[in-house]
Amino acid sequence: MSKQNSRSIAASLATAACSLLGTSTVAPVQAQEEPGWDFNTALLYYGESDGRVQDFSLNVLANRAFVDDRILSLGLTVDSLTGATPSGALPFDGPQTFTRPSGKAVYTTSANEIPLDDSFLDTRVALTAGWAQPFARLYTFNAGLSASKEYDYVHIGGNAGLSRDFNKRNTTLSLGLAYAQDSLNPEGGTPVPLSPMLDVGDLSNRMGDQDKDVVDVVLGLTQVVNRNLLFQFNYSLSQSSGYLNDPFKFLSLVDPVSGDPVSHTPAPGISGPSHEYRFESRPDERTKHSVYGQAKYYMSGKVLDLSYRYMTDDWEIDSHTLDARYRWPLGDRRYLEPHVRWYTQTAADFYRISLVDGAAPLEFASADYRLGEFDAITVGMKYGWKTRSDNEMSVRLEYYMQDGTAPSDQIIGNQAGRDLYPDLDAIIAQFSYRF
Amino acid sequence: MRRLVTARLSAVVFCLAAAASGCSSMGVEPWERDVLAKEEMQLTTDPVEAGIDDHIYFSKEASSGGRGFGGGGCGCN
Repeated sequence: MSKQNSRSIAASLATAACSLLGTSTVAPVQAQEEPGWDFNTALLYYGESDGRVQDFSLNVLANRAFVDDRILSLGLTVDSLTGATPSGALPFDGPQTFTRPSGKAVYTTSANEIPLDDSFLDTRVALTAGWAQPFARLYTFNAGLSASKEYDYVHIGGNAGLSRDFNKRNTTLSLGLAYAQDSLNPEGGTPVPLSPMLDVGDLSNRMGDQDKDVVDVVLGLTQVVNRNLLFQFNYSLSQSSGYLNDPFKFLSLVDPVSGDPVSHTPAPGISGPSHEYRFESRPDERTKHSVYGQAKYYMSGKVLDLSYRYMTDDWEIDSHTLDARYRWPLGDRRYLEPHVRWYTQTAADFYRISLVDGAAPLEFASADYRLGEFDAITVGMKYGWKTRSDNEMSVRLEYYMQDGTAPSDQIIGNQAGRDLYPDLDAIIAQFSYRF
Repeated sequence: MRRLVTARLSAVVFCLAAAASGCSSMGVEPWERDVLAKEEMQLTTDPVEAGIDDHIYFSKEASSGGRGFGGGGCGCN
């Protein structure tokens, strides 16, 4: 079996090992003259401005090659998350008080600020394990398991894939299947969709633990064009079912004329929300289709990596993602790699910036900014080098920015002059070591 | 819905098969793989970094997957 083929097996395996955690990767391991361990490690800082989400993350992916190009892959990720995140409520001229997701206390946000829920504190541990091996000369089989645990969220998943080489191994067709079952058990319970935010201590609108299932199918074609160019095309189908809400997101109930939130008076002697809020309601099914293309082109030592993805789903979200990387060698042992990514999406058909008091009830509504219409840009730079012992290190720094717009036909009265969409600015800083 | 999905899948399989047969005129001989064997020419050069990025964008955008499975695995979306 060739060294190249060994890498393609490792790539399949890493895909299997990582992808169920929303971290799909096609990974080469270092070509191994002799079987042994190969460790990819990274420390990550992800930080959003304005006191929003901060994540420190440790990542380890270990690959062990055995004879006959059989490969074991083990992954560990530990995330430490803090900070605040937009709740979905609209800003307003006065302060707003909200009951915490646990139902045990309240918090207050200042006038004219986009309300953030600051009760965001979590540690996430994720594990992956995968196995890949060739068989019948031109086939490679892989299978994997994944699991992750947060304070109020558990994920388990499995995946399997098969690929076959054609045309002197210049063409590879692959099929991958994955199944995940996730369980949500937020403190205080999951809120009934569209139910009102209640006073402290009142959990009558809460349900028990909720589940969701995700089935993924990926069909892939990889083609070597010539000595310097190869490309990949994928088609992906992803079906989610079950509880697809974010239990921490809600919408403001607003006056139909002024657009201001409707006041709420808590029961005597009890803390509670200052205004009327309704928990979000998403459909319990979602089907996504994606097509993905990637090209890698070698130009006298420099490598251009271009990819494009189109996604469409039955929530009426369409998105386009363009990604470009240019690896620029500085001598034999160092390189620079600028990176640009551009993303745009349309809003889900049930995206609402608020609910209107007295209007006909809606079946589905969410003010989650991630379901709204926005563009995003990432720009970054990576610098990599080889150590004296031929291990690899790299640092990268990136800036990620989202710029969204509230649908003009949903803006009512006083809302017109307010900041209705929580734009996002974030820094991604990473140190990687491979040995 | 299921019929639509089946039809789309069939169309994609057909296209991939057609593309694969069309691809038979492309490619290199085994001894011409020196450049393709370089680490920087792998489709994913850094699997951990790719995983980190997929996780970030999965958490902040309504799209995921494409390169591989879209999956779940996080309470962040």
